[in-house]
Amino acid sequence: MVQWIRLAAVAVLALVIQAAVLDQIVAWGAHADVLVILPVAAGLVQGPQRGAIVGFVAGVAADLVVQLPFGLSALTFVLAGFAAGLIARASAASDGGLADVVRCALLAVATEVLYVLLGAAIGQPGLLGAQTGRALGVIAVGAVLLSAPVLSIMRWCFLGARRGGWSSVPSGGSALS
Amino acid sequence: MLVLASLTVLSLDYHGEASRAITHVRNGVADALDPFQRGLASAMHPFGDAVSAMFHYGQLQTDNARLRSEIGQLSAQLAESNYASKLEAARLELTSLPFAGNISTIPAEVIAGASSDFEDTIEIDEGTSSGIGKNEPVVADSGLIGTVLSASATTATVLLVTDSRTTIEVQDERTGDFFQIQGNGAGRSLVLGPFGTSSGAASVGSELETTGQTDGSPASDYPAGLPIGRVASVHTSSSGALAGEVTPNVDLTSLQFVAVLQWLPPA
Repeated sequence: MVQWIRLAAVAVLALVIQAAVLDQIVAWGAHADVLVILPVAAGLVQGPQRGAIVGFVAGVAADLVVQLPFGLSALTFVLAGFAAGLIARASAASDGGLADVVRCALLAVATEVLYVLLGAAIGQPGLLGAQTGRALGVIAVGAVLLSAPVLSIMRWCFLGARRGGWSSVPSGGSALS
Repeated sequence: MLVLASLTVLSLDYHGEASRAITHVRNGVADALDPFQRGLASAMHPFGDAVSAMFHYGQLQTDNARLRSEIGQLSAQLAESNYASKLEAARLELTSLPFAGNISTIPAEVIAGASSDFEDTIEIDEGTSSGIGKNEPVVADSGLIGTVLSASATTATVLLVTDSRTTIEVQDERTGDFFQIQGNGAGRSLVLGPFGTSSGAASVGSELETTGQTDGSPASDYPAGLPIGRVASVHTSSSGALAGEVTPNVDLTSLQFVAVLQWLPPA
């Protein structure tokens, strides 16, 4: 229960920071994106199930402040959080060091690429173009800067919780099934 | 399950009733975020400008030379008025735009940029409580900048003309030839193309403005005579059709004050 409350508070705070601060700092027509880092960090720190759940929460939050199809961010972030968890499980355990930050930043950029591809696949104009490369570059720089604090916050969110477990997900079950 | 939930939500957004409900929720969130955006907007503007400057150094060198020549004039003006009164003057200027004619305007301040890197929108500090509604045209001091995409009680989201979703029928201010322009992404020129079967010839430097309602075409989304931009280049596409680029009259990357025109397309 405590983890849920922390997670909700973090999601709201991230939304406010995104809308009121990060959206104002524009470089090359793009800005950093903290919401995309949340599911990736959760997946890396706590595994695929929690990554997917955090992805859904963060994705719905992101969808609330953009004028693109509602649910596109949620779908993308669910897949990203789950994939990040699988990658973390397959590789070395999260050590909280530089390797985690690099993985988190790379996965955040990969998530944005997935977002662009899914958006283009459903016929959303303007996602694939010259701006895409610049946006991905800015998001990558932002992800490098924001990954370390977001990873720490995610560890705090799940403090005391068993890695990979979640009370609402039965043992052996999957948040994606 | 979460993937299915996301797909369900995504499909709901394409249905009328559900889409309207989602818009209401989005507007509610916009209202909730409004105090934070207003509170931080003035504090973040200088920092945001500094970051932007780091990425546009070459442009800044050119601007610097031009701006130095204006410093003398501005110094005198600054001595006469304080910052607050200048802002008020800028707002007032937007209430009597010559190209707006008899259409009443609602001045507003830009409080945030787009929340997504893949759309070109701005948030303004006025909403339905001030009389702003969806689809109303939005202008700045030298022309059209976009359309109200959605409006909450205290804020509104404006879809800029540079967004790829924007298509506008325009005409050459001098010759009256019709064309179509489309957004091509933030910071990029608008794309010029032919309008229907019209075979008008555009020339570099031509001023373009909205057409308003034209014979035989569906109702226009904009009143006639709103300046948009100047033709920057013209060429023929591989299919033989007219193609080109249009530079918007307004610098959409540094908007501070805009005005919403109280005009809606005829039903």
